[in-house]
Amino acid sequence: MSYSFDWGVLWRYREALLGGFALTLALSIVSLMGALGVGMLAGAAAESERRWARVIAAAYVEIARNVPLLVHLYVWYLGLTTLKLPAFWCGVLGLSLYSGAYVAEIVRSGLQAVPAGQRAAGLASGLSPRQVLRHIVYPQALRIVAPSLAGLFSQLIKDSSLASVISVAELTFVAGAIEGDTFRTFEAYIGITVLYLVAVTAISQLTLRTLRSRIVEPAMRY
Amino acid sequence: MDFSVVARNLPYLVAAFALTLTTAALVIAGGTVTGVLLGLARGAGASAVRGAAMLYIGFIRGTPLLVVLFVVYFALPPLIGHRFTAYEAAVIGFIAFIAAYIAEDVRSGILSVPRGQIEAGLASGLSRGQALRLVVLPQAIRRMIPALFNQFVRLLKFTSVASVIGVTELTGATLAVNAREFQPLPLLAFLALAYFAACYALSLVGRWLNRRYAIMS
Repeated sequence: MSYSFDWGVLWRYREALLGGFALTLALSIVSLMGALGVGMLAGAAAESERRWARVIAAAYVEIARNVPLLVHLYVWYLGLTTLKLPAFWCGVLGLSLYSGAYVAEIVRSGLQAVPAGQRAAGLASGLSPRQVLRHIVYPQALRIVAPSLAGLFSQLIKDSSLASVISVAELTFVAGAIEGDTFRTFEAYIGITVLYLVAVTAISQLTLRTLRSRIVEPAMRY
Repeated sequence: MDFSVVARNLPYLVAAFALTLTTAALVIAGGTVTGVLLGLARGAGASAVRGAAMLYIGFIRGTPLLVVLFVVYFALPPLIGHRFTAYEAAVIGFIAFIAAYIAEDVRSGILSVPRGQIEAGLASGLSRGQALRLVVLPQAIRRMIPALFNQFVRLLKFTSVASVIGVTELTGATLAVNAREFQPLPLLAFLALAYFAACYALSLVGRWLNRRYAIMS
């Protein structure tokens, strides 16, 4: 082995790396919002009393989950070129609709995990069905699924690296650019690996804490 | 939509689909064996082995698959003085990646077997190794079926990422056809349908095995 390391390359390209990191975070956060929106709708529809809503939700979940994320991205980027969407938004749409199916499954399992007695007790004590959902079912479901949602978010951050393939200049894309400039392949990819590790660890911890302190605990107060 | 572009290139696309399926089978087998070993190492008595396994699992689980493939294909060769072909790099990367996830499923599968089971095994005269192999593992594996098949379906989808480093499996081949014919919609529809069929079939196998062998507690 006669490879001499030059870790200084990471410092020289710090601005490019930070820019890529920021775009990775932006892409992941916007896609998470999209995935939560789609997933909560589909998850609630899967538990609906209307048959057509259940059928549509099940079809969406099965199709979105069983097609690779890369194909989702290409559908928006290569397939629907008539929409003339910027690459970033192709990434957001692909990631949101792909991850939304997983959110739907998480939401559904959370709603199922709340004992039926809770709902009955709420109704019996005079709450309206909507109030029962809002004050009794959702808070408990959210507490049950908080760890899964945090896991999903870290998965999303990692998945967002595939957006580099459709030319979104996020972190992985930047590493490729640095490599092209300097041939410092090892340093560039290990450098971004560390950044991903930091982002995934920090964000999953943060999500867990925010979910607990902002949503679950206030809802459990009187 | 005009699907004649798919029909014209069908032999090429079918060959690429076959490559996707054989690659998936290869990395499922390799990833499961590596993952089980890693999962056992993760719960090993020796703290050095346990620590190394934990470090590896933590590192891989925080890294995107694409980056793992780039490291194996581009970054390692100058260090180890050996270049892998794109296909070899993809297979090594997939196995190294999924093993870390399977290891955690194996671990939680083993932990889900009640302690009384191993105690009963020991009390009836089995050695620790025998108790693990004959009592704990068979039950753990039956409990792991859904989690394992989730990873297998993920892996089947992940094989599409090999196209990024130049492997002409199904996704790579479809993009190559599109570069020549420029008919993205029918080609992408075919691509999605092919993956859907394969992944859905694999998950049905998982559900069937689970119905047949699951332990009801």
